[in-house]
Amino acid sequence: MTHEVIKHLLDDYVTGELTEEARAPVEEHIAGCEMCSAEVESLKRILARAAELPKAIDPPASAWAGIRSAIARDDRATRADRSVSRFGAWQRPYVLAAAAILVAVLSSAGTAVYLNGRASTGRSTGAVASDSSPESTPASLAAFTIEENNYLRTAAMLQDLLDQQEASLAPETVAQLKASLRTIDEAILEARNALARDPANKMLVEMLSASYRQKVDLLRRTTELTRGT
Amino acid sequence: MKTSAVVSDTIGSFPSTNAEDKAAALERIRRAQAGDVDAFELLYREYSPRVYALCLRLKAGDGSDATELLQDVFIKAWRRLDTFRGDSAFASWLHRLAVNTMLENARGEGRRTARVLPMEDTSRLSGAARSSGIELKLDMEAAIASLPKGARLAFVLHDVEGYQHQEIAEQLSVSVGTVKAQLHRARRLLRERLES
Repeated sequence: MTHEVIKHLLDDYVTGELTEEARAPVEEHIAGCEMCSAEVESLKRILARAAELPKAIDPPASAWAGIRSAIARDDRATRADRSVSRFGAWQRPYVLAAAAILVAVLSSAGTAVYLNGRASTGRSTGAVASDSSPESTPASLAAFTIEENNYLRTAAMLQDLLDQQEASLAPETVAQLKASLRTIDEAILEARNALARDPANKMLVEMLSASYRQKVDLLRRTTELTRGT
Repeated sequence: MKTSAVVSDTIGSFPSTNAEDKAAALERIRRAQAGDVDAFELLYREYSPRVYALCLRLKAGDGSDATELLQDVFIKAWRRLDTFRGDSAFASWLHRLAVNTMLENARGEGRRTARVLPMEDTSRLSGAARSSGIELKLDMEAAIASLPKGARLAFVLHDVEGYQHQEIAEQLSVSVGTVKAQLHRARRLLRERLES
């Protein structure tokens, strides 16, 4: 075999993927070829460094919250789908519930549009932070984490309550509620991911708080309506 | 499937290494398949560092993109848990899901150019490298991140994760020859960047 042929076999030689038959002439060539010998040593060093790379790296702590939120959304959507198919066409229109849903959706859609616009224009997060209202913003990310846990607990409690009462809602209202919660959850996820990238941004904290408040408010108002209050 | 068995041999044993761990992991998988989110969270805690390391490298060291990919992978894993039959290791199943999700997302996003490692991500990888006591790894991570996408995928999957040529070819829907050519290109570029 010529040098030109053998140099194309060096990768397989180093990784042990050459047949015994092909290996012998390659080894013989390498022994007498300074260029191929140097290339083999270099390849071995690269592969050794690749093998030493860490196989596990801890993801950001916030990553699970986004996954958990999506799972909860899936679960509720599945249950809502079952509910719609079970009830058929009945019940009153619940105009007030629809209005509450519309307000929440528009607000969450606004959050999503803002975040997307911010990402695409590359607007300074520092400038955004200076626009935010300190009165309504938790003092620190740690404080917000406590607040977030409270929101999550309250939302879960209200969601369970609503699940028990949803038989009293019209199917179209349930479907609209489901879509609205999905929109709010997407806004929450987007804001959460943005905050993970930019933890010091108070505006993002405020937007995330606002999205949680909308979710809790929407769930609370809908549960109140189902009870006829 | 033959190729899955190959992957199981290379990466499937991580992180559960003994029979007791495997039994516990299978029990968690079974509970998660039955809808137990707490069990799924335990699976996430156990497997996410390994999947995140892969996501970081597939996403050229971009921490934000890698986190989004990790979230996509585990959300899909939850939705498709009932398709996991236990005939391959759960880690292999997750890795395959990660690569497929990355490819699906890339198809949706259209053509993207390879990026060098941004500073914020360098610090994350630097931390990982420091924690294992070898600073040189950072240069290696940065060099891998700077590779063209096809070469980077082939190198990460073959030389870092231990997949076989055939397995990579199937996942990327290319020929074995293309995988080997991309690997050769990746190694040549890495040698130039790290040893010149």
